[in-house]
Amino acid sequence: MKPTAGNLDRWKIGWLDIIVTCAVLGALFYLTYRAVGVLRYDWNWGEIPQYFFRYDEVEGKWVANLLVQGFLTTARLAIWAAILASIIGLAMGLCRVSNILFLRLVSRAYVELVRNLPPLVFIFIFYFFISSQLTPLLGLDDFARNASPTSLKIINILFSEPKLFSNYMAGLFCLALFEGAYFAEIIRAGIQSVPKEQWEAGESMGLTRLQVLRYVVVPQAFRNIVPPLAVQFITLIKDSAIVSLISIQELTFLAMEIAISTTRFFELLITLAILYFVICYSCALIFNRLEKRMARAHQ
Amino acid sequence: MRLHYFLSETTSGYMRNQLNVVKRTGWLVGRNRSPLVDITQFAVFAAGLIWLSVHGAQSMGYVWQWYRVSQYLYRIVDDELVWGPLVKGFQVTIEISILSLLFTIVIGLVIAIFRMSNSLAARLLARVYLEVIRNSPLLVQLYLFYFVLAPILDVDRYWIGIFCLSFFEGAYASEIFRAGFLSVNRGQWETGASLGLSRYHTYRYVVLPQAVPLMLPPLTGLSVSLIKNSSIVSVIAIFELTAEGQNIIADTFMSFEIWLTVAAMYLMITVSLSLLVNIFEARMRKRSKR
Repeated sequence: MKPTAGNLDRWKIGWLDIIVTCAVLGALFYLTYRAVGVLRYDWNWGEIPQYFFRYDEVEGKWVANLLVQGFLTTARLAIWAAILASIIGLAMGLCRVSNILFLRLVSRAYVELVRNLPPLVFIFIFYFFISSQLTPLLGLDDFARNASPTSLKIINILFSEPKLFSNYMAGLFCLALFEGAYFAEIIRAGIQSVPKEQWEAGESMGLTRLQVLRYVVVPQAFRNIVPPLAVQFITLIKDSAIVSLISIQELTFLAMEIAISTTRFFELLITLAILYFVICYSCALIFNRLEKRMARAHQ
Repeated sequence: MRLHYFLSETTSGYMRNQLNVVKRTGWLVGRNRSPLVDITQFAVFAAGLIWLSVHGAQSMGYVWQWYRVSQYLYRIVDDELVWGPLVKGFQVTIEISILSLLFTIVIGLVIAIFRMSNSLAARLLARVYLEVIRNSPLLVQLYLFYFVLAPILDVDRYWIGIFCLSFFEGAYASEIFRAGFLSVNRGQWETGASLGLSRYHTYRYVVLPQAVPLMLPPLTGLSVSLIKNSSIVSVIAIFELTAEGQNIIADTFMSFEIWLTVAAMYLMITVSLSLLVNIFEARMRKRSKR
């Protein structure tokens, strides 16, 4: 921001600046004093890098350690959950704007149920439900056990370690079902943002309602759907931390494992928070840039 | 009488609005049939789903023991009503939510004022706070508060849980306050000043009465989100509803019964608050039409 006549006073130092600066410095000083002076915590940041990558002496090369593995699991979880949630969200979002009351009731019940339940309770219920009923029904355990070596490799790359496969899928379904409700609301709002004249114009041209939806409404709604969906994707990454509570071995779970076994809580939790911040913030920056480019392309 | 009139008015207005929305954007060809048919269809569908899951659980060897649930809600001991752990946990959930709501409002107001102020340091602090809160998971924040901040400051887990929740929701509250204040037209301030009102009086009698009704629905939504998110403090062993539920399940292995009861208890309060938001919004829509 260039200091012009209008915002020149924004760059002056006022009493609020002084109070805020003093308060922040005071708080930082007090925290350091308590940590170093009273608690006498001996910080050991040197241990942390080995949890990202470690040197394997048997094979003589650097291999990814728990934190990087956790990060990869979180990333795969987020991407698959986003894809599944988009499918659920699209179906439910279309049902919410349907003319048939039955479909509206079904989608409304789903959305309200998910949005009014605590995420923790929702995930616990569905984890028990999915792991006790759906997993045996789909035969995920047998599938992972009897798969051929090549498909095991594919599972390992795309999802998770084969022996944790059914567990991972349960977490994935929970997350997708949970986020699907929010995706549905975004898609509904996007479709409803298209003015009704568009529907009427489409119909007067002799298109069926499905064709109007496909060729007229969705292309216009798309522009209003993508930006909030991108924000929701970041929320999904954040919400994925909750599945650590049902023992899905993603970033939060593994970081807590290391913290508990080494009792280096301070360093590991700060590292964990920084990691999440970097992931989410860089996603936000990328999405912002894409959004700007999209807006420019439409001008 | 008045209340009844008000309720029926707003709900019918709400329904009409919903109908208009659907007429405007419906995508499947509307069939002219009674809504009762659809409602019955929905009831049958829901009953089918419930039957499938009950039957499925039974065939997996799950024994439903609903009759054992009531003792965890209440018991009658010597003709006296004693609340069970679930109800006690529910009380703790409400307690935590109300306390956090108070702190959330304070934090939200301070951050909103900081963001709108012309002080560089205040705006910077608000910005950093918002980005940090928005870009990290609540669970990780809770771990940070509990494992790092609590030993440093020597605070017990109950208050750390409340502070963590308030810090998290404060970021969203500040957005609500900011939007509310900014929505009041600049001209209103100027009119107040030209009428000879002081800054405080303009604020008190001109700006706030216009901003508060706008902020009420999102603030109610915020309290729904607070109640929902308060379940996460069960992770640091604060004995609210979710933690009590987990405890009972560890003792009795009735996972489905207890979780469904817990969910129903949460839904009771969150759904009624969500309905309140709908009524607020319908009322505002009507007022703005006038």
